[in-house]
Amino acid sequence: MAGFLSTLRRIYLSLYNWTVFVGWFQVLYFAVKALREGGPTTVYDSVERPLQLAQTAAVMEILHGLVGLVRSPVSATLPQIGSRLFLTWGVLWSFPETRTHVLVSSLVISWSITEIIRYSFFGMKEALGFAPSWLLWLRYSTFLILYPTGITSEVGLIYIALPYIKASEKYCIRMPNKWNFSFDYFYASIVALAIYVPGSPHMYQYMLGQRKKALSKSKTA
Amino acid sequence: MKIILVSRSAKEVIKGGIELHDEATVSDLQEAIYARTKKFYPSRQRLTLPLQSGNQGKPVVLSPKKKLVEYCDGNAKTLTVVFKDLGVQVLYSTLFFWEYLGPLIIYPIFYYFPVYKYFGYEGERVIYPVQTYATCYWCLHYFKRIMETFFVHRFSHATSPLSNVFRNCAYYWTFGTYVAYHVNHPLYTPVSDLQMKIGFGFGLICQVSNFYCHLILRNLRSSDGNGGYQIPRGFLFNIVTCANYTTEIYQWLGFNIATQTIAGYVFLVVATLIMTNWALAKHRRLKKLFDGKDGRPRYPRRWVILPPFI
Repeated sequence: MAGFLSTLRRIYLSLYNWTVFVGWFQVLYFAVKALREGGPTTVYDSVERPLQLAQTAAVMEILHGLVGLVRSPVSATLPQIGSRLFLTWGVLWSFPETRTHVLVSSLVISWSITEIIRYSFFGMKEALGFAPSWLLWLRYSTFLILYPTGITSEVGLIYIALPYIKASEKYCIRMPNKWNFSFDYFYASIVALAIYVPGSPHMYQYMLGQRKKALSKSKTA
Repeated sequence: MKIILVSRSAKEVIKGGIELHDEATVSDLQEAIYARTKKFYPSRQRLTLPLQSGNQGKPVVLSPKKKLVEYCDGNAKTLTVVFKDLGVQVLYSTLFFWEYLGPLIIYPIFYYFPVYKYFGYEGERVIYPVQTYATCYWCLHYFKRIMETFFVHRFSHATSPLSNVFRNCAYYWTFGTYVAYHVNHPLYTPVSDLQMKIGFGFGLICQVSNFYCHLILRNLRSSDGNGGYQIPRGFLFNIVTCANYTTEIYQWLGFNIATQTIAGYVFLVVATLIMTNWALAKHRRLKKLFDGKDGRPRYPRRWVILPPFI
């Protein structure tokens, strides 16, 4: 029974990782195609569907961590997925005025390259039992550039969106109401921006630590 | 006897080691380390015995009052001790004072001063009785906490890392602002008079109970300040290990029943999660310590923090 369940887990995770891999591959493909054909302002429209699907599917990973299907700590995946969903749905989808900004191109390219490497890495490990050392190297090295470019794009786009957020009153809940609850999306976005200040060095340090562990382990293996 | 002091990466921390007389205590060693390094005062030092190779368990922490010779297995002439710097330390009373001072000062600012003008709400504010009582209740709570910090609590560790000051103040001060903003808001909607009375009444009873719990915990420890753990008994402790946290959670529930804000309930939920974490660790520690062997009493069957759930 245990062997059967573990095989089932492997099949499921292989399917999951390779499916999402295809999604992100599409994002990169359409992004580069749009850049060459129409320029940066056309990138969003070309990638919208696969981006939304691939990024939203990542919510499954929180579930995987919670039920113990994978070892990743929920505390590391939650902020990452949170910021991704915030950008994908809370900024780009909600405020079309941001879609033509050049930072959308850098965002989408940074994300898609990172995810293509990550999902193929996990996909191989689940399906074949191992991942080639060049892929391991890519997974633990490309973040050195892509984290800064991705984070800069995220912060930049949130900042660009602020005036539109404020003016639209979207997602705001005002008082008076029975539960004395208020929510101001503009201030919440500013708080989100503030979180990047300690959050980004923290994530970067975490990845540096992971890199050290992963690359030294492969040397001794 | 000679103490060889190494870091966790096996580098010598004090070249040549430290010479102490044979009856020296760990505390003497701490003083000697401080004298030699000038930087690492005793509360910054974490001294442990080296882990035996292959042994994955937790290292043995040296207890200040014990003699060093008690940690030597055969060779009473030298002992290797592992040193870790815990970083800049502050007294627990200092930490608690600053984290509680924020809510004590920030909340009344939202009650007394026309701050909502800066959020775009001009004009006169109607103040409901519940808002006045809430300010009193809240300030009484944090005043009580500060008083307990200086006059009631006996801490197992004297100090806490400085970084905790920033982390804890961020937590208390931010939530204090978040709750104060909503309860004192010009567009605040009060609950019924009866609900308010039930809320505050229940909350006050729980605050008094919480104070009594703290007195019981205080009397478990002797005043020469060496911490140590005892089985708490009496009052609600007979039913639940961390009755002090239980009463604290319920008194916030009382506050929220009376004031009814989502902000207050969010604060309650987060505080409950944090205290539940602490309670689980404390319960586990007490069960492990009081295992019923070697003449030690066995820890009785009790709820951890919130019957009937946990």
